[in-house]
Amino acid sequence: MPVALQQAFQSWDSLMEWLPVGICVCNHNGLLVQFNRRAAEMWGDAPELGNALTNVATGEVLRTGEPCHNYEINLSRADGSRMVVCTNIEPVRDADDHIIGAVTCLQDVTEQKLAEEALRNRERWYRELLEALPAAIYTTDKDGKITFYNQAAAMLAGQHPQLGQDQWCVTWRLYKPDGSPLPHDECPMAIALKENRPVRGAEAIVERPDGTRIPMTPYPTPLRDDAGRLVGAVNMLVDTSERKKAESQQKALIDELNHRVKNTLATVQALAAQTIRGANIPESMRNEFEARLLALSRTHDHLTRTQWASAGLDVILAETLLPYADGRGERIRLDGERVELPPKAALVLAMIFHELATNAAKYGALSTKDGCVDVLWAQPSDDRLTIHWREKGGPTVSEPKQTGFGLRLLTRGISDELGGEAQLEFASSGVRCRIEVPLSPADAA
Amino acid sequence: MLPEPHIGSAMIGHAMLPLHGRTILVVEDETIISFLVEDMLRELGCEDVRHAANVASAMSLLREFEPDAALLDVNLGREFAYPVALQLQIKSIPFVFATGYGRSGLAPEWRDRTVIQKPFDTQALGNALRGALRAN
Repeated sequence: MPVALQQAFQSWDSLMEWLPVGICVCNHNGLLVQFNRRAAEMWGDAPELGNALTNVATGEVLRTGEPCHNYEINLSRADGSRMVVCTNIEPVRDADDHIIGAVTCLQDVTEQKLAEEALRNRERWYRELLEALPAAIYTTDKDGKITFYNQAAAMLAGQHPQLGQDQWCVTWRLYKPDGSPLPHDECPMAIALKENRPVRGAEAIVERPDGTRIPMTPYPTPLRDDAGRLVGAVNMLVDTSERKKAESQQKALIDELNHRVKNTLATVQALAAQTIRGANIPESMRNEFEARLLALSRTHDHLTRTQWASAGLDVILAETLLPYADGRGERIRLDGERVELPPKAALVLAMIFHELATNAAKYGALSTKDGCVDVLWAQPSDDRLTIHWREKGGPTVSEPKQTGFGLRLLTRGISDELGGEAQLEFASSGVRCRIEVPLSPADAA
Repeated sequence: MLPEPHIGSAMIGHAMLPLHGRTILVVEDETIISFLVEDMLRELGCEDVRHAANVASAMSLLREFEPDAALLDVNLGREFAYPVALQLQIKSIPFVFATGYGRSGLAPEWRDRTVIQKPFDTQALGNALRGALRAN
């Protein structure tokens, strides 16, 4: 050791001055014999030697001879501030084993204590936050053992799960939406943990111990530490019974509305039949009326299937023309991409196709064995639909003398109701009709 | 999904129908519609057409009358026709449901049964009844 350094540490006493912990020594009466610089800093001033050490722990150590380890005291300092000090006291004995004093080691742990308290407060705050949320929330460790659940989770589950024991889910039993059992180790939370990924869009049914069942949507999400390692998962269970109830009420309402609309149409059909019966009206007229009514009704059916969102153009055309098909695909040819028609367009076009088909069956290509009808359609842009109706191989056609319902519907329905254009040509080879309609979503109503 | 083709009236003459002389039970709560259905059935050649407007009267009719087939309106206002359907099934009497909303309007356990959508024409009714009679 260099000389200068040796001089700096002439004795162990001088070494004491360099320690970052406070050291003090008292005699067997608890009177201060020696202390280092750090101890004085911690107390806030340098007491006089011979003063009594006032803490209870020192007295105990001197009385019993048992050391005292990691005893925390709240130190009042000379300037009035406080310091949390971790204290270790060792008794000092003479050769005859009599207690002659004690050495006290003091460590300032105020910062550490404050940090611990802040952490505890933050944990409590998060816990209270989760507790206060009305959503059912629980967490698990990486093995799926439940580590926390809030009151809402216990309410939804109808039970209080065993922390650290119950695994994967707070619920008693789970079922898939189709009613078949869903084992806990296959539930969405188990999948989220086993595959280390959030699971969304799942649905399940919770069964409580009392047998009641609740539909719910889980939102399990893995939790990872700073290094990205899986440490657990959090899950939120959303009770969907209100939504399910609303959906089924809505379905019941739509069903009831359809029932009434269809019964009203059937009543109109019956009234017409009763009115025509007995009157001197040809049966063909009744059939014509009935066919129109049924064409309207069938379009309603297609629209009902999609909750009045749309109906397929191909479906409507097939509905109208397949009764005339020969089974070999020669008499009726339908060709075009899949197009979904908004309700208004579906209703108007279906009635127009019905009129065109009826006309073809009476006077046009479908009135003879060899005639055929081609319907080709295309949607060159998102908002434009063109349809070509071409009759071939039928009798020679000529312009009708009167403007019938079908023709009026074709011209006015397409232009006024759908904002499109229609061209009807009575070519001698057969009727040709070109329809162009806009299909922007604004027309969907 | 394409709809089933209708069979045009020109294709099947009434003489071919196995509905001639049949006895039919019609359960329909709306009187005016029941007139239409009865007329259609007579047009199809059915001989004895009996009508009931609700489950109770259909059940009591069935105690003394065994029809060859039946047409059941599913929604009878305040009740559904399923108890009648069950009774017909027990007696092995073929039947057809009529609804305003097609197959999806039927209770799941009855969805494999023949359904016709209201309103329907004479041909559709005839086809449905013949189908049910054949299947039996």
